[in-house]
Amino acid sequence: MKKLILTLACIALSGIALAQNAQLPQNITIKALDGTSVQTSAIQNDGKPIIISFWATWCKPCNRELNTIKEVYEEWQEETGVKLVAISIDDARSAARVKPHVDGNGWEYEVYLDQNQDFKRAMNVVNVPHTFVVNGKGEIVWQHTSFVEGSEEELLEVVKKAAAEE
Amino acid sequence: MNLLYKSPRLLLLLTLVLGGTTIHAQGIMGGRVTGNIQLDGQISSADSIIGAQDVPEWLLMNARADILYTNGGFSAGLRFEAYQNPMLGFDNRYKGEGIANYFVSYQGEKLSVTAGNFYEQFGSGMILRAYEDRYLGIDNSLRGLNVTLRPFNGVTIKALAGKQRYFWNYADGMVRGIDGEVNLNSIVKCMAESRFRATLGAGFVSKYEDDQTIAFPDNPSYRLNLPLNVGAGAVRMDLAYGNWGLQAEYAHKGQDPSVMNNFIYRDGEALMVNATYSQKGFSANVQAKRVDNMSFKSVRSESGEMLYINYIPAITKQHTYAFLSMYPYATQTTGEMGLQGDVMYKIKKETLLGGKYGTDIHINGSIITSIDTNNIGGAGTLGYESDWFKTGDLYYADASLEVAKKLSKAVKLTCTYGYQVFNPVVEGHNGPLHHNHIVVGDLTWKVNKKNVLRFEAEWMGSDSQYDPNVDDKRCGDWIMGLVEYNFTSAWFVSVSDQYAYRDGVGNYYNVSVGYNHGATRLQLGYGKQREGLLCIGGVCRQVPASNGLTFSLTTSF
Repeated sequence: MKKLILTLACIALSGIALAQNAQLPQNITIKALDGTSVQTSAIQNDGKPIIISFWATWCKPCNRELNTIKEVYEEWQEETGVKLVAISIDDARSAARVKPHVDGNGWEYEVYLDQNQDFKRAMNVVNVPHTFVVNGKGEIVWQHTSFVEGSEEELLEVVKKAAAEE
Repeated sequence: MNLLYKSPRLLLLLTLVLGGTTIHAQGIMGGRVTGNIQLDGQISSADSIIGAQDVPEWLLMNARADILYTNGGFSAGLRFEAYQNPMLGFDNRYKGEGIANYFVSYQGEKLSVTAGNFYEQFGSGMILRAYEDRYLGIDNSLRGLNVTLRPFNGVTIKALAGKQRYFWNYADGMVRGIDGEVNLNSIVKCMAESRFRATLGAGFVSKYEDDQTIAFPDNPSYRLNLPLNVGAGAVRMDLAYGNWGLQAEYAHKGQDPSVMNNFIYRDGEALMVNATYSQKGFSANVQAKRVDNMSFKSVRSESGEMLYINYIPAITKQHTYAFLSMYPYATQTTGEMGLQGDVMYKIKKETLLGGKYGTDIHINGSIITSIDTNNIGGAGTLGYESDWFKTGDLYYADASLEVAKKLSKAVKLTCTYGYQVFNPVVEGHNGPLHHNHIVVGDLTWKVNKKNVLRFEAEWMGSDSQYDPNVDDKRCGDWIMGLVEYNFTSAWFVSVSDQYAYRDGVGNYYNVSVGYNHGATRLQLGYGKQREGLLCIGGVCRQVPASNGLTFSLTTSF
């Protein structure tokens, strides 16, 4: 049995095919800040790129990332049409704080709650912050974990490239 | 290959690590394989000062790989885990390796079905929350069947049955549950565009466990008549009107004598209420809760942290600075009352206090006490009576003020003051209350586009004194300094030291180096580390206590 599993794992992982970009998972249920359930297929931006940022209220680097982008968000939107979707992984302990936290910080992002972490698991997020760039076709073209000031410029380059693909 | 087959662990690990870092999502039969890998290790030496135990193994390692196959709405996954041997802070019963978790799942618009291991939560989790926290060694996943129906837009019905993971086995207790949730704005036509938003929900969970012999303490020739089925139900609402919000959930649990409540037959209940007001640049929320005898486990004889069916969250703020989080408060599921308040305010740019860039102010306070109890008997009785509105002993209180200000285009300063009162009884020790004052300064300097420096200084003044009999190493007065250098988000180096300069013991020095590339992160550390939440090099994660060399690799593909 062990051998079989190992062999399968080897076949699955060592058959290096052409690297294809994964599509954003479609039917995972997350919650909007007003309590309504929505499916991840609702994460759309009219064929323009989307930044998906997994964060938590208690995560300082996540807050630095979202606050840093806030200051340039309008410029980015004008330049590339990008939309930022912030997925909170706060659990029952701090989920009630997400909406006040978002408003208090003056963020104008689309924010969803992923309390049961279904989306986080489907996206293989281990630590926060973990940021993805999705192109107009719904393909994940870039991802990065960790944030320090200045790395938003690298993110912008990726978004520009994704926007130019259209 | 033969040699590798003889040590299959090694082979699998190598395949996963090497394979995982080089490939992207693979196309297999039209579907895709994705996954993530985590490898944490420590080469530890004993140190009674920081609580790192003497371990005969020179290397402790936790490894884990999730492999996920997705094809449209269909997905299947398995998780390999290896603990050779478990790292400090992880239960030794995790020792071993194998496929810990597997499932097949279909996620459709109106129907989702998962067979195998799954995670689920009803409402805020007060009657059911199957969850994992990989860094804390908690995996309460259920193995069984989970079905979610969404017959109309705005209506969700969940039904599940399964057994809880218990290290490498599954607990005997059977957990079954059903939950329904209705969003009124989606189903009532005239409410569709209303500023009033309402979601209502209710759930019921039942646990079945075989009978066992528990002697009646007053007369050991009698045994307790144990309920084989224990039920718990909850109702909840989530209301919003414009800038205002109100969430409430009430849970009630039937007779559930267990080790956790000393085999009393009193019903359990819990209430949690949260009210918020928020607008752009200002928000406030108040949270209150009362918990009475709400420990709900799938096995009645299980003490400790495993096999919880439900989850009662702590409402205290989750601090991330080292000294502010040194005394984290853990919910007392057997009984507590608490109140928490939080205010965030942004002082506008170009004002006297706001300056050129504006100023962020964040105030938080909480107070948690035990519930009032009047004993009326021991095991086999109703246990105690409780006055609903009367508070008991103080468990925990804290207040903090955080001011964050951008001083120039390149420099940002955050200053925090915190005050805490901590009762050691919540960790099972007796002793006087600890009163702590904490001051934190955190400065980030973006030297140029690629180089960022961060400095952190912390001080904690406490009236607690180190007592070798209790051996609480957090006592005393502390100072801490941290310098972190980042070269873009790719490389970082951090050096820190925490030192007990009065009435305490301990000197925690640490050097860490890390590298991030895409979704891969590699980190090496040397020194002494306290267990807890650590946010360096641009990410936050829980770390175990250690003394010596630590390494960590995480990647997803």
